[in-house]
Amino acid sequence: MNYISLMIAIPLIGAIISFFTRTRAQARMVALIASLVPLAISLQMYMGFDKTSKIMQFVESYTWIPSIGVKYTVGVDGIGLPLVLLSTIVSVLVIIYSWGEDKRPNQFFALLLLNEVGVLGVFTALDFFLFYIFWEIVLIPMFFLIGVWGGPRKDYAAIKFFIYTHVASLVMLLAIFALYFTYHMPDGSRTFDMLTLLQATADPKIFPPGLLNIIFAGLLLGFLVKMPAFPFHTWLPDAHVEAPTAGSVVLAALLLKMGGYGIFRVILPILPHVNKIFVTVIAIIAVLSIVYGAFLALAQKDLKKMVAYSSVSHMGFVTLGAVAFTWMSIQGAMFQQFSHGLITCVLFMSAGTIQHTVGTRVIGDLGGLADRMPKFAFLMLAGFLASLGLPGMSGFVAEFMVLTGSYATLPVFTMIVVFTSIAVTAGYHLWATQKVLFGPILKKYLQVHDAHSYELFSMSMIILLAILFGVRPNLITDIMGVAAYQVMGPVVTLTQMGVI
Amino acid sequence: MIPVELYILLASIMFTIGLYGLVTQRNGIKLMMCIELLLNSANINLVAFSANQPNVDGQVFALFSIALAAAEAGVGFAILISLYRLYGTIELDNINALRW
Amino acid sequence: MYADYAYLIVAMPVLAFVLCIFFGWHLPKGGGFFTVLATFGGLILSLGIFKEIYPDKIVHQSIPWFANFNVGILIDPLAIVMLLMVTFVVTLIHTYALGYMDGDPGAARYFAEAALFTAAMLGLIYSDNLLQLFIFWELVGLCSFLLIGFWYRKPSAAAAAKKAFLTTRVGDVLFLAALVLLYNNMASLNLALKPGEYLLQFPVIYAHIAQIPPTQLTFIALCLLGGAVGKSGQFPLHVWLPDAMEGPTTVSAMIHAATMVTAGVYLVARMFPLFYAAPNALTVVALIGAFTGLFAATMGLTAFDIKRVLAFSTVSQLGFMMAGLGVGAAVGVAAVGVSIFHLIGHSFFKALLFLCSGSVIHAVGTNDMREMGGVGKYMKWTAYTMLIGSLSLAGFPLFTGFFSKDEIIKIAYEYGVQINYLPYIMLICAATLTAIYTFRLWFVAFTGEPRSDYHKHESPWIMIGPLVLLAVFALGFGFFAQSGFYQYLDTNFEHYGVDFHALGVIGGHISEAGAAGGEGAGEPFIVKILPYIIAIGGILVAMLFYYWHKLDPGLVTSERDPIRRLLLKGYYQHEIFTAWFAETVVYGVAILFNLIDIKIVDGVLNKISEVTVGFGGNLRKVQTGVVQNYITAVVLGIVVLVIVIEIGMKVGL
Repeated sequence: MNYISLMIAIPLIGAIISFFTRTRAQARMVALIASLVPLAISLQMYMGFDKTSKIMQFVESYTWIPSIGVKYTVGVDGIGLPLVLLSTIVSVLVIIYSWGEDKRPNQFFALLLLNEVGVLGVFTALDFFLFYIFWEIVLIPMFFLIGVWGGPRKDYAAIKFFIYTHVASLVMLLAIFALYFTYHMPDGSRTFDMLTLLQATADPKIFPPGLLNIIFAGLLLGFLVKMPAFPFHTWLPDAHVEAPTAGSVVLAALLLKMGGYGIFRVILPILPHVNKIFVTVIAIIAVLSIVYGAFLALAQKDLKKMVAYSSVSHMGFVTLGAVAFTWMSIQGAMFQQFSHGLITCVLFMSAGTIQHTVGTRVIGDLGGLADRMPKFAFLMLAGFLASLGLPGMSGFVAEFMVLTGSYATLPVFTMIVVFTSIAVTAGYHLWATQKVLFGPILKKYLQVHDAHSYELFSMSMIILLAILFGVRPNLITDIMGVAAYQVMGPVVTLTQMGVI
Repeated sequence: MIPVELYILLASIMFTIGLYGLVTQRNGIKLMMCIELLLNSANINLVAFSANQPNVDGQVFALFSIALAAAEAGVGFAILISLYRLYGTIELDNINALRW
Repeated sequence: MYADYAYLIVAMPVLAFVLCIFFGWHLPKGGGFFTVLATFGGLILSLGIFKEIYPDKIVHQSIPWFANFNVGILIDPLAIVMLLMVTFVVTLIHTYALGYMDGDPGAARYFAEAALFTAAMLGLIYSDNLLQLFIFWELVGLCSFLLIGFWYRKPSAAAAAKKAFLTTRVGDVLFLAALVLLYNNMASLNLALKPGEYLLQFPVIYAHIAQIPPTQLTFIALCLLGGAVGKSGQFPLHVWLPDAMEGPTTVSAMIHAATMVTAGVYLVARMFPLFYAAPNALTVVALIGAFTGLFAATMGLTAFDIKRVLAFSTVSQLGFMMAGLGVGAAVGVAAVGVSIFHLIGHSFFKALLFLCSGSVIHAVGTNDMREMGGVGKYMKWTAYTMLIGSLSLAGFPLFTGFFSKDEIIKIAYEYGVQINYLPYIMLICAATLTAIYTFRLWFVAFTGEPRSDYHKHESPWIMIGPLVLLAVFALGFGFFAQSGFYQYLDTNFEHYGVDFHALGVIGGHISEAGAAGGEGAGEPFIVKILPYIIAIGGILVAMLFYYWHKLDPGLVTSERDPIRRLLLKGYYQHEIFTAWFAETVVYGVAILFNLIDIKIVDGVLNKISEVTVGFGGNLRKVQTGVVQNYITAVVLGIVVLVIVIEIGMKVGL
């Protein structure tokens, strides 16, 4: 079965059909079906995934442009599968959340599906050429989602988002070209095959250290901007504040994960072969992202902006865990990707629901909403608690694993994070929920009604998942455990695995 | 037989006049006339060389070129007439709606 | 056989939580009977397990979880006595709450959260590893947040909830740091673990403490202590506890008596071998505990809010328990039994006191004792059960509090003989103050003339019943259980083969050769009778002021007295912590970072884009859109090209 190709193709077809539908009812139904099928496929893949095997699974490989060595190769391992699962889950829930979208619904849902195509492609592509194409495809729907359905400063935000991440992608592309043009296959031809090129970086005769350092820096920049890590994070709050809720959810839950995925797939295999200074630099970036992001979130007045900065802070754990390079920390960082992808959905959905039921997101203007929106308040509180790392939910497991694992190699940085960010993180989450939900209901909000059932459904599903993976993290960490070993060990190509 | 150099000289003079007009003039009609001069100077060259070394290719090209020039003149003048109706002038300096 | 169902002790309250939150809204009393039944079931199970394992067995079950961690159940003497106490006290509190919360529209939410609270506390007690303990520890914090903020429409309740969560969270950060440190220290030993053993399991930790470097042990112990200080309301993280009474009184009773605050003491007791092996750690425990005991007692003297007085007394008594553990440096592992005994005795009489005050508040409708007066005339049951609780708290001879507190003071004296008298002196002062403020409360509220117009009726039987049961325990538990209890708990760490002598050598408490200090048989007579004197003397002082009115409190202090203001304001801790540290320092840093982000990080970016756009804007002027200009350029270009080529050819390139 060509699971992966099918999984990528169906949302693409769905996007085209959805684009040509006339009514909202048709568009959203098409979108729902076109996103449910990939979810079913990804669940099937999860069931059929061999958790102990170290080889790439569900691999498909076809010749595409032989003259320049481009192949259509897709496959997943323990790094990609959880993110594939995350993408399909989030895509379904975000479509359900947007059930009531009024403005150009056919285009809206088509773009959401197109986004799913790109993200799934990034998480499964094993060919740098293909990887880059999917990487760039993702920009397009997000650009339009922000630019058409966005808030007052949508033009500025959309262009900033596009150009910032695109410039970073181009730097990454140059680095990919450098890899491509430096390495010859034994028969003299060239290849874009990801694993082959990554394996070759281990050989100092092919990639002299000076060159490899530059390539590494280029790739790193591309991924860090996407993550986003300090100091490349400023596109994120702007994009989030202006994006429609569904756009924000997808942006935070899936697009940021592309950066993290790149770190695991591309950066970590090269890391042992480059200058050791990079470890320190990345660790500093990670710690600054965590601490600085947390403090910035505390200073925000706009709920959505606060959530956006909390993403910067949480994604810092991914960087920290990755660069600490221990089995536990890498696993934790991978789990943090998965967990943050889920939890941040609830946060952005909460902000979105507040925006359209109450009409403002300014924390200082809100108060006592629990009185009129009890169900929503329950879910929002649960989401915020999950985000601050409450044990029993997935965020805690991830952060705990990152911190425990990182201490072995980066003790000072880890302790800085523990002592500065964790209490502050709890602080801004609680401060916001308390201000928004509790206290006496303000007079002007007496008419506010509870959130729509489809919004509550999406949020409650995510809370349930966060609890599920908080109580049974081994559902995912079992897969990641093997992947973490793989990341730390030498790269094995598909041919050596015996897959193709 | 008139030496080919004289044709080339004539064509060069015509081309230079045309080019000069094209660079200096701002009136649409004048520009069209200058373009005709350029085209025809090229035609003269084509025909002259064709006659000089017995080969009809050049004359065929010249015919193409004339037909092309006619079409070009037709479209060009049509545009100019439209512009005149719209702006009341064919001084090209004044027609700058699409400029930055 | 009961032990096989030990997981139900936590599972049942969790089930009650689910039932209450989904169906409680449609049931009478918010489905509270689910919660009561679940806890009562836990009590029955605990009793069954106790019967099975007493006197010399333990229960240990474990399954793998994720990565290098497991979940498991460990029921040893320390855990089972805590389980029994918590299930018993909490069952009574929930029963009482059936009456107390009757008619509250949020009753379902209350009972759901209360059930979760109970589950978290029980899970904390019988965790078999430190990570699981931490998880339940945090859940306890969450539930306290939810319950303190139960009346979330009240801004003060919402603020108190936030304060409780954040303050304990500061402690939790230290606990987390301890976890990280301990795990990495254990991991670096490269132990060959048997299947079913995990690095953070208590038996594994106990077995390998001696191999961890002593300085690391001290770090770990101090970080753990930080967690305990946050949870158990020790100085300087006690600030949340007096505010925590913003919740319903039953919540205060749960937090102060059975759950939450005892968790910190329990943690130190659970990790006692580690503290014992860590140089200086127990000294810090003893000093913090004793200081908190005295410090909180002084604040209890001036408060007018009946629950606030009790809250300060809780802080103070927790200080006693901590000090009791801390002086273990001198008396060894016996300190665990002494301290936990006080913890359990305290939970009986403190639950009793809170429930009684709840009963009074239920009737009078205010927390301010200045508006009560003479309540005893109308609420006989409440008054006399509260009297028993107060006598116990004050340490009146033969009451539970006397036995447990006396023992702590006694070992504090031994500690003084061997090491340092400071804890002993502070505890003696604190005990005296305890007697005074407890009876100030009782006399002011229950005797004299009514000072305001309130409902003069007794509470319903569903509330009185638990009071009577608790009063029985507050009265008799100490007398009947003390010696057996000490014997039983002293065996706790023998199950793991902990060699306290070796650990004491690492910790520097005992010399290589000698036995652990003197037996303390030679206490002078004055030390022996001092507890009697301070208990009875303290009560008499309170009577002089507040019952016989022979002395006017105004003689000692006045409205303008700075010391009184200082005490009333709680040593300005709120002002320092919340107002200055949280709002000025932390928020200030946040604002500063925000400014940096906008002006510098984003500013540089915008500058770059501005320059690019500006450059493009200038460059586009070249594109005039006038074809003639282009032609000119083309012609000139060709001319230049031709010239260059010509020159090139001439030169012969």
